[in-house]
Amino acid sequence: MIVEIKSGLESDLEKLFKILREKTKVIGPRISVDGNSIVYEELNDYEELARDVEDLQEPGNYRLFKGKFFRHGFDSPKKYLFPPTLKIIRVYKGLRIEPYDYQNMEITFFAIKPCDSAAIKIMDKTFSWNEDVYYKTIREKLTIIVENCIDPGKTCFCATMGTGPRVKENFDIAYTKINGKVLFEVGSEKGGKILKSLNELREASVDDITSLIKTMEEAEKKAKAPFNIENLPKELEEKIMSKDLWRKVSEKCVGCGNCTMVCPTCFCFDIYDESHLDEYVDRIRYWDSCFTYRYAEVAGGNFRPDLWARYRQWLLHKFSYWEKQFDTLGCVGCGRCITWCPMGIDIRESIIRVLGGGEK
Amino acid sequence: MIYKEYIFKKGLINKIIQETQDVYTYYVTPMEGEVKGSPGQFNILYVYGGGEIPISISGLEDGKIMHTIKIVGAVTRMISKIKENDIIGFRGPYGNTWPVKEAEGFDILIVSGGIGIAPLRPVIMEVERNRDRYGRMIILYGARTPRDLVYRREFERYKRIRNTEFHVTVDRGEEEWAGAVGVVTTLIPKVDVDPKNTIAMVCGPEIMMKFTVKDLIKKKIPEERIYISMERRMRCGIGQCGHCQVGPYFVCKDGPVFQFSKIKGYFEVEQI
Repeated sequence: MIVEIKSGLESDLEKLFKILREKTKVIGPRISVDGNSIVYEELNDYEELARDVEDLQEPGNYRLFKGKFFRHGFDSPKKYLFPPTLKIIRVYKGLRIEPYDYQNMEITFFAIKPCDSAAIKIMDKTFSWNEDVYYKTIREKLTIIVENCIDPGKTCFCATMGTGPRVKENFDIAYTKINGKVLFEVGSEKGGKILKSLNELREASVDDITSLIKTMEEAEKKAKAPFNIENLPKELEEKIMSKDLWRKVSEKCVGCGNCTMVCPTCFCFDIYDESHLDEYVDRIRYWDSCFTYRYAEVAGGNFRPDLWARYRQWLLHKFSYWEKQFDTLGCVGCGRCITWCPMGIDIRESIIRVLGGGEK
Repeated sequence: MIYKEYIFKKGLINKIIQETQDVYTYYVTPMEGEVKGSPGQFNILYVYGGGEIPISISGLEDGKIMHTIKIVGAVTRMISKIKENDIIGFRGPYGNTWPVKEAEGFDILIVSGGIGIAPLRPVIMEVERNRDRYGRMIILYGARTPRDLVYRREFERYKRIRNTEFHVTVDRGEEEWAGAVGVVTTLIPKVDVDPKNTIAMVCGPEIMMKFTVKDLIKKKIPEERIYISMERRMRCGIGQCGHCQVGPYFVCKDGPVFQFSKIKGYFEVEQI
């Protein structure tokens, strides 16, 4: 693979932002209003992009400090492609229906990390077998600008999942900040066209490319989990019957569902009736979680009343069933489920424990 | 762009028949579009302000869709308040079908428990309509008590179908009950099946299906010719919402009817 790499400065990145901002709604990382985390929100100006902060991510712990490099917060591009709540149809008495009509929207995800662009690739599959209208309206015109992850955090394992820390696919433009420079790569025809308008970019020097490769190699070492995914789906599924094992592995889980909410690929939803007095009902689609008690409940009973079974469902879905359903795993190794688990359950450790028969 | 998938059609409730104390059959005439569905498929019904539930199709006759519903949950309780000439929402049909095509030339063994007879009734009707296409038909049906027997008004009709055996049992008999007492699996050893030429279709509570399948295998019916219809929380009907998953399968889309040999590895897993 020959990748053309261009060298520029932060001012070129700002220029790129402005070009995209003129034509599209730009979503990117900014510091939340309370200053406590990175959030993906609309950015009107390059200055709004988060900077000079660093996040500490550990099992059950997230802190934002002054610093150099941050990863991501709890939200992901999923929030925009598959909103947490979405009105589907309005129903009036007598069952007259008014569907909500969603227009095309041009969005740019700016400065997302490789794990999040990989998550979009997975969602492309999960939302396409029955083409999801809202997803499609945004996805068709979506522009993806990825910042390579030069310093993965403690909960990251993208290198093991094969999704990072350097982006390989599913992006328009990628950039890496190294030694005061910004190195740009093109990932699509569209990205190539956009980058051409940054006329001050130069061909990257041999030194630039060498330090890019070296930096990414170092980053890769930080983003590894102690397992490999080659036979993982099969090896995990072989343990499906070991009830005691799943009980042990899930013993700390409280079933809050945080992991599924922060997961950039979890796609489960339900639809409920929101009544507006006696006038109409809005049917609203909202994120659901396989950890909730009611998830597998039917009128006559519950197929997964126990938490260990729901934990197993989540883990095996992500790492086994998903492959059979969508020809890819359901995990990108972003580590959000580890960071945002209130009990600090580490999926990497859970996988090792399942493979090893439950012991730590 | 709009979500066409979730737009339900309106159906007029023509007739309601009370089958048992808590089971009702609703005959629905679509107010738009045609009557569609095959044996084994289901519709998702909608009640204003209550929400949706998946209900199997129990019959398609004279331009009407027949749904037999047990009043057990929040939405079915709202449905139970519906009167004749009221309107209900429905979308579908969803899911795959019983193997009625594959069963041509074979003997058919139907084993049903409780409300599980509802999705199998269209198979009985299919055999009645096209009697010469199939071999023998044996219908085994079990319910808790005589008062819980659904479609009792049609039993004589089932018995009159040529080359058909129909056996009923109840878990607990009552004074006037002269029939068999015992769970539905107790009927299996009593019937004579030709395992080489039989296709079995089973529907009922999961525990009943587990024991039934075991006994059918004992009768030497191969696992590929045993079909079960699974129940799960099916919310979207199109394999998108996730709720109905059993291992890698979405019951609403890959099922609800499964060849036992295909689902076996997951069916036997506790709390799958």
